[in-house]
Amino acid sequence: MRGAPARRGVTAGRVLSAESTKLVSVPAHVWLALGTVVVAAVTAYGLGLFVRPGDARSGSWVVTSGFVLAQVGFLVLGAVVGSGEHTTGTARATFTAVPRRLPVLGAQTVVVAAAALVTAAAGLGASWVATAGVRAGGGPAVDLAVPGTARALAGFVLASVAVALLGLGLGALLRRPADAIVGGIVLAVVGDHLLAANPGPVTDTVRALLPSAGARLLQDDAALAALDDATRGPQLGTGGGGLVVAVWVVVVLAAAAYRLGRHDVR
Amino acid sequence: MIEVEALSKRYGSTTAVDGLTFTARPGTVTGFLGPNGAGKSTTMRVVVGLERATSGRATVDGRRFADLPAPLHAVGVMLDARSVHPGRTAYAHLLAMARTHGIGKARVREVLAQTGLESAARRRAGTFSLGMGQRLGIAGALLGDPATLILDEPVNGLDPDGVLWVRRLVRELAAEGRTVLLSSHLMHELALCADRVVIIGRGRLLADAPVQEIVDRTGSGSLEEAYLQLTTDAVEYRTDAASGGAR
Repeated sequence: MRGAPARRGVTAGRVLSAESTKLVSVPAHVWLALGTVVVAAVTAYGLGLFVRPGDARSGSWVVTSGFVLAQVGFLVLGAVVGSGEHTTGTARATFTAVPRRLPVLGAQTVVVAAAALVTAAAGLGASWVATAGVRAGGGPAVDLAVPGTARALAGFVLASVAVALLGLGLGALLRRPADAIVGGIVLAVVGDHLLAANPGPVTDTVRALLPSAGARLLQDDAALAALDDATRGPQLGTGGGGLVVAVWVVVVLAAAAYRLGRHDVR
Repeated sequence: MIEVEALSKRYGSTTAVDGLTFTARPGTVTGFLGPNGAGKSTTMRVVVGLERATSGRATVDGRRFADLPAPLHAVGVMLDARSVHPGRTAYAHLLAMARTHGIGKARVREVLAQTGLESAARRRAGTFSLGMGQRLGIAGALLGDPATLILDEPVNGLDPDGVLWVRRLVRELAAEGRTVLLSSHLMHELALCADRVVIIGRGRLLADAPVQEIVDRTGSGSLEEAYLQLTTDAVEYRTDAASGGAR
């Protein structure tokens, strides 16, 4: 037949390449990532202005404090990628090209994680620069000799990637961006704050099991010890928060994979 | 070749496709006709694996769609002009599809030229008219140079030049030995380009024969009259004017 290219099939690498193209070819995704970097830096700068030497806040807390708002950007990025296939109708083109479907979700997981990682690293760097004046002007300095400081800085990136993947899973599972974003914000942000207003064994236990526990990745050793001392629920220790959010990501992505593999695509 | 055998698809208590059997053969354009809600699009979606059959089976070249190792090379599919992210350019949309199969950029540019979208390749699909969206959908279907094409209402929204282009295109594709399954509500168009028509109503097969045979069998003067006659009892929404035409 005319112009016939060599007959080559679908491979995991090719699906990954296709999903990378899809991610970067939507300007809204790029603007969202840039906006998330700006929000991380501006929020860290703003919160840093209120830190005083006697506040028991560390330098790493100042640098990573922008996560409180920036995580919404990561969540939205994942949610719009996960649900966008279905809300825009792209799913019909995508899943007739890759009818086994699950390689697409796998590739989206990789590209969203990579995009979140790059965005978070940029956000961390921007936050470092934005808070340099605050830290130099009497605020707490970033001292890598303080136990857990390096882990807290890396935790900003890891927690951001986890929130983005949670958004992806919710988007692919619920197939509507609004549902995924609202659900993600409740799970990763609001739920923790609401429960914190009424501390107790039950509410503290629920808080420890929400994906918002992933924010513990941003704390140095002293802050983690203070959190564990204050809770009447399970003490998650150094890696417990990361484990909780990782389990959430795996479970939600597995549920999305089940729905994608077993149910119709409209 | 597309083979649909005793295919049924139910959504809860609603039966969209009910024991449908037909075959679309290589080298022919098979028109797929039916009133609104007859189950045409559902059947097409089941054939390409987007929806699962409740019972029965649908195969392309003897294999389930999901079992095809290189689907874009086997079947070109255009189900809806809105199967593209509105923020993505036509070129990026096709490039992403192409990359799933290792198809090069040259082929992407080739199908953009073939469908008359070269000048709009860098425009976001969200700014496209319905007709341009149809052309982009057809470009996606042609991307893998497939042996089988499934086109759902491909002339919707096209200008007269576009309709003529699609008519010639499907005839050329069939002349090259490809299987073409084409749904349309435009009887005149189907009469001109289809070799054979499959007519369904309420999910069931009403007729499956060459165009002229259906016209002769029903004693009608045209495919349109034959269609209205065959679907009289299978249509859910019909105006008085159409009912009169069927008599």
